[in-house]
Amino acid sequence: MVKEIEVEPVTRLEGHGGLRIVLGDDGKVKDAQFNITSTRFFEKFCEGRYCEHVPRITPRICGICPIPHHLTPTKAVEDAWGVEIPEPAYKLRQLLQNAKQYSSHLLHFYALAAPDFLLGPFADPALRNVVHVINKMPDVGAMALKMMDFGQKLCAEIGGKSVHPISAIVGGMKKPMDEDARDRFLRQVDEQIEFTKKTVDIGLKVVEDYWDVVANVGVVPTYYLGMTKNGVHDIYDGDIRIVTPEGEKIDYDVHNYLDALGEHIPEHSYATHMYYKPAGYPEGIYRANTLAMINAADKMATPLADEALKAFREKIGPISHHTFAYHWARLIETVESIELIKTLLEDPDIVSPDCKTLDVEPKEGVGVGVTEAPRGLLLYNIWSDADGICKKLNLLVATNHNIAGIEKSLMHTAKQVFEDKALEGLKLPDPWIK
Amino acid sequence: MPVLPALDIVYWPAVVDFKHDSLKARPDGDILVGFVEGSLRTNEDIENAKLMRNKCQLIISFGSCSCYGNVHGLANQWDIQKAINRKFVGAESITNESPHEPKEHMPGFTDKIVPLDEVIKVDAYISGCPPKPEAIVSAVQFLLGQKPFPMNESAFCADCILNNENCLLEHGKLCFGPITSTGCTLKCTNNGDPCVGCFGPSKSVSNRVGKLNDMITNINQLSSGDKKNLYEFLSLFLNVPLMAGFDLSGDILKQIKIKGEAKTTLTNLPSETEEISSKIMKFLRDNRDFTEISTVCDTCPRIINSNSTMTKVKRDYEGLPNMDDCLIEQGYICMGPVTKAGCGGLCMRVNAPCTGCFGQTEWVADQASRYADVAIKGFNVALSKDELLSQVKDHLGTFQKFTLASNKAYKGGE
Repeated sequence: MVKEIEVEPVTRLEGHGGLRIVLGDDGKVKDAQFNITSTRFFEKFCEGRYCEHVPRITPRICGICPIPHHLTPTKAVEDAWGVEIPEPAYKLRQLLQNAKQYSSHLLHFYALAAPDFLLGPFADPALRNVVHVINKMPDVGAMALKMMDFGQKLCAEIGGKSVHPISAIVGGMKKPMDEDARDRFLRQVDEQIEFTKKTVDIGLKVVEDYWDVVANVGVVPTYYLGMTKNGVHDIYDGDIRIVTPEGEKIDYDVHNYLDALGEHIPEHSYATHMYYKPAGYPEGIYRANTLAMINAADKMATPLADEALKAFREKIGPISHHTFAYHWARLIETVESIELIKTLLEDPDIVSPDCKTLDVEPKEGVGVGVTEAPRGLLLYNIWSDADGICKKLNLLVATNHNIAGIEKSLMHTAKQVFEDKALEGLKLPDPWIK
Repeated sequence: MPVLPALDIVYWPAVVDFKHDSLKARPDGDILVGFVEGSLRTNEDIENAKLMRNKCQLIISFGSCSCYGNVHGLANQWDIQKAINRKFVGAESITNESPHEPKEHMPGFTDKIVPLDEVIKVDAYISGCPPKPEAIVSAVQFLLGQKPFPMNESAFCADCILNNENCLLEHGKLCFGPITSTGCTLKCTNNGDPCVGCFGPSKSVSNRVGKLNDMITNINQLSSGDKKNLYEFLSLFLNVPLMAGFDLSGDILKQIKIKGEAKTTLTNLPSETEEISSKIMKFLRDNRDFTEISTVCDTCPRIINSNSTMTKVKRDYEGLPNMDDCLIEQGYICMGPVTKAGCGGLCMRVNAPCTGCFGQTEWVADQASRYADVAIKGFNVALSKDELLSQVKDHLGTFQKFTLASNKAYKGGE
C-alpha cells in the first residue's frame, strides 16, 4: 500500500508550507515534496507605483528580513536611474544590513534551531520551543535576548523601525545616525562581541555532540548561490557567485543574472524552483543562505570571522554539502556581522550629514539590485519609465532560492531514513535539557 | 517576552511545534483568544480563518493585513488571473516551456483581497504594520485580566544608572522614574530615554518625586511632545488598555472624557503618585488638544504652521527635508493627518513621511479627495485641491496603500 506522510504545517518556519513524502509498497521513497502554499504577487501590485515607493511596500514580503527588502529595491531604482549615493549613506546601509544579519542569525540559532538540538529530536512538541529553552537555561536565554535586542535596536535606530524600515531613499539615507545613539551602541558593542564568542562556543559544542548527524545525514551535493565582493564575503554589495558541487567558483555581474539563474515553475509549490541555468533543471538545483555564502567566500571580511572560516574548512574541507553545517556557517557570518558593526560604529561617516544625494532625477531604465538577506541572495530587477513609475518588477527572493534545494535534501534524507534506516545506528548525545 | 510564561500557547506555527491537526482536533470554542494575522490571499487562508473562529472565543484581527488587507490589497486593481500570469508565466527568469499556475496540493487564490471581518466575525482590532509591541502586551495583559508585573516596594530610580548627576529630571526632562515600580530591564534609561511608567506604580516613591511633581504642577510649560505623550504614560501606568484600533473596552481618553477620570484597578497608591496622576488627568480633561489624540500628527514631534509652505508636491527622493518642520509643509505627501494614531510617529522621526499603515481615520469612497481637503485646511499648503491631486500620479499607491481592500466603493479588476 502506498503511504503518504504529511507534515502540515512545517513549524518554526517563517512562512506557510508543508512536507509530503510518498512511500511505495516496497518501502521505497516515491516522492518528496515541499509545498509552499502562499504567495502574494508583489511583482504585480508594485506596477504603477512610484519607484521610490517600492522600497516602502516590499519590506512586507518578510517580517524577519524587511531590511534587505528595503535596501535592495532602493539599490535597484538607483541602478535604473543612474544615481550615486554618498559614502556615509553606503556605510549606514552596510551597518543596517549587518545589524539585521546579526539579530536574524541569532533569532534563527536560538529560537528556531536550538530547541531541536538542546532538547533533542524526540522531545515533546509542546516543550520543543524557545520559551522552554529560556526557562530551562536562563543564563543562555538572557544572553540570547540581549543579543537579539541589540541587533533589533540598532535596526530601529538607523531604519526608523526595526520591522519595515523607512530610512533609505533613492539617493542615500533620510538621516545620519545621531551621535548620542552611536555612542550608546558603541558602549555595548564589546559585550556583544563577547556574547558572540560564547555563542560560537555553544554552537561548536552542539556540532561536536551531533557530529554523527552533521557528517552523515542530509549530505547532499548541490550547486550554491552566494555573493562576494572581489571574492570576499559581503552581504550588502558584490557579484553573484555560483559554486559547483565540485567547488569551482563562477562570478556573474548582477546585471547578467538571467545567464546564471533560472526559475522552474513546479506543479506543487507556489515558491518556484531555482537552478543554475547552464547546468539545466533539475541537475543545476542550488542552495543559498549561510552554507552557500561560506562555500562561495574566498575569505571573510573581518579577522575573527576569517579565523572561524579557516576552522570550519579544516574540519569539513573547502566545500561543504552538509545540510546540518548551515548552523555552523550561520555562526561564522554572525561573527563577521558583529565585527563589522563595531568597525562601522567607529567610523565618523555614519554621523555625517552628507547622507543623501540631493539632485536625484528619474529616468527611463532597467535596474538590478542585489544584497544577501539572512536567508539567501535577494534580487530586485525593476523597470522604470521616464517619470519614475515602476512598469515591471521581477523578484528573486531569498528563501525562494532554497526551495528546490530543500526538496532535494528532503528526498535524499527521506531515502536515508526510510530505505537505508540510517537513523537507527546514529549516535545522538544526551539532551542538554531533559 | 514577559507575558509569555503566563500563556498556554496552543497553536503558533512560527514558534511552537503543534501541527494543524492538533488545532482541528480541539472542541469548538476551546481556545480563549486567537490572534489572526496576514492577508487572505488563498482559499486555505479563508479556511484557516474560519477554523480559528470556530475554535476561539475571541478573535483579534491582528495587524494591518487582517484589519485592512495591507499592501496586498493593491492587487485588487487587476483581475487575479493577471497577477497569476505575471508570477507563474511572465516572469523573466522562468524557463519552463509552458509554465502555468501550480495546482497539485495547492489551495488556489481568492479573486480579491478582503479584510478578515468580511470573512468571519471579529471581536477586536489591533492595526499597524507592524503593530506596536506595546499594543500586543496591553492586549494580552488586558485579556489575562491582571498586571503581570508586581507592584514593587521601591521606585525605578533605585535601579536607574542615571541616578546621579545625569538624572534626566535634573536636566529638565520628564521622567516618571520616581513613582514607577522597579523590576524592568531599565532599557529606557540605559538608552538615555526617560522612564515612561510602563511597569506601573511602586509602593513607595523616590526622593526625586518632588522634581517630577514640580514639572507636572507646571504642566503647561512642558514641551508639546511631552504633553502629547501624557496620555500614553497614564494608560501604561494605570494599566488601562491603550491602542489605536483596539476597541475592546475603549481607551483612556474616552474614559477621561466621559467620566472625568480613568478607572484603575490599582489601590493604595502613595499620595504623591495619586497627586501626580490626578494632575495629569485634570490636564488631559481640560485641554481638548491633548485628549483629541486621534491621528498620527497628534504624536508627531514636527511643527505645524511652520516657516515652510507646500508650493508643489515633491516626490520622496527630492532634496532632503529638515527635521523640524511638518513634512507636508515642506512639500511631501505625508499621510499623518488622515491616519490613525498608535505608532508614535516613528517614520517622521527619521525624516520619512507617513504612508498610512495604521489605517484611515475615516472611511470615505474617495480617499485622495479627503486627503487633499484635510491637508489644505490644516497645513501651510499654497496649492488648490486640483493642483495637489494632479501632481500625484499614483493615487491608489499614495492614498490607499494599506487599505484599498477595505474600500467597498472600489471596484478594480481591470
